[in-house]
Amino acid sequence: SPAHISNGSVSTVQVSVLLPECSSAPSHLDSVLNNFSSFYLIKKLPVYELLDRHFLETAVYHGAVFGLSYRTRIDEDNCVALMPNGHLTLSLDKDSFEILGFEGKPSRFKHRTATRFVVSVDLTDSSMAPGRRSYLRLLTSLKSRLQLQTDFLLSHHPVLCSLGGGASIQPLLSRCDWSQHRPEVNCRVLTNLPCPAPLSCDPHSFLEWLGAVDAGISCENSSSSFLSSFVCPEPNTMHRHALSVSVSGLLLPHDIHRLLQELRRYVEQPRLASWVSMTVRGFADSPVSCSNHEHGFLRGGENFYTLMMFHDHTYQLHLAMGAHDVCPP
Amino acid sequence: MKEVEEKEEASVYQRVVLKNASPYHYLKVRLVLEDDSTRLSAVELKYFIITGLKSLYGEVGAALNFDVLKYDEDTLTAFLRVYSSLVKLWSSLTLLGSYQNQACAFRVLQVSRLNPLPKNM
Repeated sequence: SPAHISNGSVSTVQVSVLLPECSSAPSHLDSVLNNFSSFYLIKKLPVYELLDRHFLETAVYHGAVFGLSYRTRIDEDNCVALMPNGHLTLSLDKDSFEILGFEGKPSRFKHRTATRFVVSVDLTDSSMAPGRRSYLRLLTSLKSRLQLQTDFLLSHHPVLCSLGGGASIQPLLSRCDWSQHRPEVNCRVLTNLPCPAPLSCDPHSFLEWLGAVDAGISCENSSSSFLSSFVCPEPNTMHRHALSVSVSGLLLPHDIHRLLQELRRYVEQPRLASWVSMTVRGFADSPVSCSNHEHGFLRGGENFYTLMMFHDHTYQLHLAMGAHDVCPP
Repeated sequence: MKEVEEKEEASVYQRVVLKNASPYHYLKVRLVLEDDSTRLSAVELKYFIITGLKSLYGEVGAALNFDVLKYDEDTLTAFLRVYSSLVKLWSSLTLLGSYQNQACAFRVLQVSRLNPLPKNM
C-alpha cells in the first residue's frame, strides 16, 4: 500500500505534486504543503555524537530523528545516514574502513576488488545499548581511530521526541555549528497544458512527460523542429490549468504521509480531473535507497517513486532506482 | 533502470518490473567558455554539439538524434535527451575543446535514465 512506501526509509529531498484542472490548492492541501517540518544543517558534526546517550534515549529510540551527510558523494566520499528505525549506516572508502576497525561488509557496488565498505548498525538493538561492548567499540573507533566528521542534515519528528519539540536534540545542537532551514515550496500555475491520459500511454512516456512538466520543459515542439522533437504523448487532452507544487529540503516521512492522505481526499471528491500525481525523490548520494537496501550512484543515482492516484480509488506506483539497486517487495 | 508498476483494485494488484527499459538518457550540461560573457543561442549550441559529434564520429555520428529540451542562455546550461547512444554524446562533449577560437569545456552536471532529473541540493 502507498502508506508502506511513504513510511519507509527514503531520505527525501523533494516532493512534487501535479494537480490537473486546478488553479489554486484548496486550503487543507495548501496548509499541508506549507507546513512541512523544518530541518537542521550541522556543520562538521563529529559522527560519534550520533551515539550520545541522551540523544539515543530521547530521540533515536523513539524513531523520531533521521539524518544524512550533506554534500558527500556516495561513490567518492564517506557518507553517513541515520534512519528513523534507528539504523546507522556508514558508507566508507577502504582506508577509512580499515582505520575504523569495526565490522562491515564490502559494498555491493564494486569493481573487481572491494573499494567501498558499508558499516550498518541497529542502534536500537540491545547489543548497541550504551555501555555494551559493541557500542563502546564503535564509540571509541569514531572518537579516536577514525575521527569522522561531516556536514549533516538532521530532521526530527515534532511529536515523537520524548521531551517534546526540539528539546531532545538541543543538547546535541548546542555542541555544534548549526542552522535551521524550512523546506522551500514552489508553486506554479500552468495554463493550456496538454496532458496525456495516464492509463493509455506507456509508463516510460508518461513519467517522462511528468518529469518535463516538473522541470519546466516545453512539449510544444513539432516533430520536425531542429532543437527538440519532444512532444506530449498521445492521446492527450488540453487542460486549461494545472497546479504544479514542489517542496524541497530534508522532508519527514510523516509529513509526506500527511500530504498523501490529503491528496487522496482531494482526488476522491468529484472533480474535473480524475487523477493527481505525487513524485517523491530521494538523495542521489544516499547510502540507503527507498527499499532500505544499499544504494549506489552508478551513472545517475536515481532514487524516486511516483504515485498516481485516481478518482476510483485505484493507484499506480512507479519506482525508479539504479540498475543494480534492489527493489522492495 | 528498474521500474516497478503496481496497480491496485480492491486487493488485486499487478506488478511489472522493467529493467534497463528506458531508451532515453537525459543530461544536464553547462558550457564553460574562456570568455564568460560569450552567449550562444539554443540553435548555435545544438549545432556546436553536432560539430563535436562529427569530428569524433564522422557523418554517421553527426546524425545522432538528440534533443535540447531546455536551455538557459544566461548560464549556458542545457537539458539534453539522447536516444540510446549516451556514450557517443558524452564522449563528444568531453572532447569538444574550443568554440570559435576560444577554449571551452562542457561540464556534465547530471545524468539520468528517466526524467525527472533530480534536483541537486
